[in-house]
Amino acid sequence: MGKSGGRLGNDLRALRLAHGAMSQQELADRIGVTRQTVNAIEGNKYSPSLEVAFRIARVFGVTIERALRPRRGGSSG
Amino acid sequence: MNLSFREKSLWIQATGLVVAFGLYFWQVRDVPGPDVGPGLVGLFIAVVVLLVLFQVVGHAVAAMADRRTEPDERDRRISLVGDRMGGLVLGCAVFASLCVALAIPGNFAFTHVLLAGWVAAELAGIATQIVLQRRGA
Repeated sequence: MGKSGGRLGNDLRALRLAHGAMSQQELADRIGVTRQTVNAIEGNKYSPSLEVAFRIARVFGVTIERALRPRRGGSSG
Repeated sequence: MNLSFREKSLWIQATGLVVAFGLYFWQVRDVPGPDVGPGLVGLFIAVVVLLVLFQVVGHAVAAMADRRTEPDERDRRISLVGDRMGGLVLGCAVFASLCVALAIPGNFAFTHVLLAGWVAAELAGIATQIVLQRRGA
């Protein structure tokens, strides 16, 4: 959903692997969304809300900018 | 194809609507007279009961086969987009049924165009949600 230029890129897959090969389901349970939503975020098909973005950053102990970032060519504000 | 509970639920809703109202419209296709009679009201009630039963049993089976999850923010957003699409179709159907009410005497044609429009609106909303769920939205 949303325009492709506005979607966020991310390093979720790498972050999951770096945190004990955490599964999508485990991450989904910890941030309070479904596994399908984690999959959609990882595939750059869905941009999460700020609230979920904060939860993702907290789970991995990184800043939001480290976990999610504007894609090249997308508007960064 | 690996479907989430929400996708299964949408497919159950769509199938129920198609089967129940497919049967209904098949039964009423040759009904004579310009107005809705008591027999049709009985048929309509039977179809609604069939639809409800189908949905209850279908969702119970889906819940047994899959872990049911509460809708999250993406599900809610997809649902809103589906509702918007359904609303557009329903608006067109209401307009069409008003035109039919002005053009054709009796309430049979009017009510059935309106009913068909409601079914089409529900299906459009569900189809939109299925596509968005599959695409990742």
